[in-house]
Amino acid sequence: MPKKISVMDLYKLLPKTNCKKCGQPSCMAFAAKLLEKEATVDQCPVLNTPKFEENRKKLIELLSPPVKEVWFGNYKRKAVMGGDEVMYRYQLSFFNPTPIGVDISDELSEEEIKNRAKEIENFAFERTGEKLKLDFIVIRNASGDVEKFKKAIEIVEKETEMPICLASLNPEVIKEALKIVKSKVMVYAATKDNLNDMIRVIKELKKEKDVVLVLSSNNVKELKNMAAKCLANSIKDLVLEPHTYPENIAETLDLNVMIRRSAIEREDKYLGFPILNLPINAYYYALNNPCPISEFFEDKDVVAKMYEATIAGTLLNRYADALIIHGLDIWELMPVLTLRQNIYTDPRKPQAVEPGLYPIGNPDENSPVILTTNFSLTFYTVTGDFEKDNVTCWLLVMDTGGKAVDVSVAGGQYNGENAKKLIEETGIADKVSHRIIILPALAASTRGDIEDKTGWTCVVGTRDSSQVGEFLRKNWDRILREWKEKHQKEKA
Amino acid sequence: MIYNDKLGDFMDLNALIRIIEKVGKIEIENIQITADELIINIPSAPPVVIPQTPSIKEKLADEGIIEIKDVPELDWEPPIEKYPGYIREVQFGKPKSEGGRGKVVKIGGQKALYRFEEPQPNPPVVTFDIFDIPMPGLPKPIRQFFQDVMEDPCEWAKKCVKEFGADMITIHHISTDPKIKDKSPREAAKLMEDLLQAVDVPFVIGGSGNPQKDPLVLEACAEVTEGDRCLLASANLELDYKKIVDAAMKYDHNVLAWSIMDPNMARDLNRKLIEAGLDPNRIVMDPTTCALGYGIEFSINAMVRLRLNGLKGDELVNMPMSSGTTNANGAREAWMNNPEWGPREYRLPLWEITTGITMMMCGVDLFMMLNPIAVKTLKEIGKTLTTKPGEVKLNTNNYEWIVAKA
Repeated sequence: MPKKISVMDLYKLLPKTNCKKCGQPSCMAFAAKLLEKEATVDQCPVLNTPKFEENRKKLIELLSPPVKEVWFGNYKRKAVMGGDEVMYRYQLSFFNPTPIGVDISDELSEEEIKNRAKEIENFAFERTGEKLKLDFIVIRNASGDVEKFKKAIEIVEKETEMPICLASLNPEVIKEALKIVKSKVMVYAATKDNLNDMIRVIKELKKEKDVVLVLSSNNVKELKNMAAKCLANSIKDLVLEPHTYPENIAETLDLNVMIRRSAIEREDKYLGFPILNLPINAYYYALNNPCPISEFFEDKDVVAKMYEATIAGTLLNRYADALIIHGLDIWELMPVLTLRQNIYTDPRKPQAVEPGLYPIGNPDENSPVILTTNFSLTFYTVTGDFEKDNVTCWLLVMDTGGKAVDVSVAGGQYNGENAKKLIEETGIADKVSHRIIILPALAASTRGDIEDKTGWTCVVGTRDSSQVGEFLRKNWDRILREWKEKHQKEKA
Repeated sequence: MIYNDKLGDFMDLNALIRIIEKVGKIEIENIQITADELIINIPSAPPVVIPQTPSIKEKLADEGIIEIKDVPELDWEPPIEKYPGYIREVQFGKPKSEGGRGKVVKIGGQKALYRFEEPQPNPPVVTFDIFDIPMPGLPKPIRQFFQDVMEDPCEWAKKCVKEFGADMITIHHISTDPKIKDKSPREAAKLMEDLLQAVDVPFVIGGSGNPQKDPLVLEACAEVTEGDRCLLASANLELDYKKIVDAAMKYDHNVLAWSIMDPNMARDLNRKLIEAGLDPNRIVMDPTTCALGYGIEFSINAMVRLRLNGLKGDELVNMPMSSGTTNANGAREAWMNNPEWGPREYRLPLWEITTGITMMMCGVDLFMMLNPIAVKTLKEIGKTLTTKPGEVKLNTNNYEWIVAKA
């Protein structure tokens, strides 16, 4: 079972002066933040004094995660892996979103290497106000030639700021590469056959602290013994790579689970390192072998990329702390990066924005009122679309406990009572000359309830917020005119 | 004489002293000294200090003799857990010998989380979504597979079974919705009878989502499919679930219990269904699948917790689980035409695949799906989870990618 530490265990080691210099109201509050990983030991200035050196060490020991946090890269960009404490994200949160690296063969021309490196660095896919990016470049010694390898490294270092992984099983090639590379790199890979030579190369160059060494084996016991040997030789930044089998991914999933369970639940410190998996194997496998997607597309490259994304998604769900892939197409990376974003979302933080009234554009008394939810994804999607399409409106953001429209309709938070409360609290009635609310089509079923409770007229809008601009351009003037005519008649 | 284990030879003392003179200090490990009389008087050899020479370590390095420390072999045991509970097995369809139509599908029945702990009895099952009226709103890359059969649900079902390997079929009687066509429960039941004739796989029977109408539609369909062990979809607290429970027990069916991403809500619903007379071995839980990018992390947490609690022995949540994976197709990243995102004919299946695979990794047993590409991929991956470790021959060279042609 994983070790259980309490706030008291940590508090005992703190200065207990409640000096507030860490930004927390008391040492007890600071201890609670430490336990939740929301604060670090460094934030307490008193602990940095010699008197507390012993306590500081104990605290760091107590707080060190069962899966070591390992990084490579340079002072501008780092790829950080591991650092996890739990088997399931609901138990706390997963930390350090899986860095994803893309390969570059050293057999490409200088121009091609440069272009691919730039493409990897510049890749971005934006979701919910966050730019999802790739994290490192894998330079692989496909040529077998040291000079070509060194040249490729030089180009990538010159053209980008990306963290680098060097891929070759030849310790002599790695040795020459390590001599010229400027940043802390990840070396792929030490196997049971070349482990001694890899260790020797790293020690000779005194690069024990400047290298993350990947240990590769499909045997967990062997990985454990390899790790023990590296630690004994002062190579402490390790990554475990238990082989990726595209023809039966369950084999790899088993290995990942066994490694992670050993580290977290059995406290096996030799297996307490990040796990690297290779969806790139699925790419090359599907290029040359039948896979489930083969029959649907003629283009082998498309099939291979779809299968690679499938395997990447599978592994992300089972403790992959780093991935190496080949495909760079946005359609392939979108599901992979989205899944990573979802899995590494901190479940302790509600994914909600502040409910209330948000003016979009410069709305006036004749502008439409649109009702959405305070799920942050919904909010950012809606406001993003409105901005793009120059929509002007009053956006009412209802407190649905951070749930999306369809989920909160089903769950009952998207209802008349809540809408009424929101209308009263925001004073929207004083800002517009009408009493019309536009509902998303997914909330059409709540129309009666909202009309009953609020007395406003509900109009069912579009299914997706990207269609709202067009909907309003076509319909809003008419809706408003009809409402006003009807309203004046009623008045009269 | 001193045995030098590096050289594999015996050294005499003079040789030893020569080394001491050269390096100033030596460490002797595991020495074995054989002598009749032994006097070692090392202090008499004065420490020799040679300034401006590299330290011994660097010198050895230059000569390529870096010492690599060995460690004694460490043992490792596969971390296999003991689980006090189990997951119930639910059966769809009945063999001909018992008066059924032949095809039988089982889900659940696990005694452990992973196949390296206990063999996994049943692979994940896919049930194809079909509708009782044409669905012109389906995205074109999916519609193209069914364009020719959409007018006839029986042909649609046949195509799913014959061409796309459907284990089961989910028929959504959406035209029974008063706001759509308000078809009667009797008409829905008639379609059910035709479907039973058309294909031999078991059915999931779905309503329109109208809480007033659905219990009536499900009851009528349950009656005409008596003894066929269908899955009635679904019971929840918003509708007259008692009617659905009664129909399931009277006509020998299973019930899908639908809750909203909350393990406690799922448990509460199961308890109410059981109190209403439902056999717990006839429940499949649907804790709601949010699409990838649209709250799937909430579904992950709910499903993982339900499965873990089931295996821990909570008999109110140890039912197999179902996922409405089709929801993935509602994600704009999947269906929207957007040149910046590349062809949607690739994005659509990948979104459904990734959503389904994620749910599979959380323990889901039954997948309601739409896209034949996604179905095939999910089934293949699912099959591997029930293979025995080492059963499938692995030919991949894990390092081939390093030297692969770009």
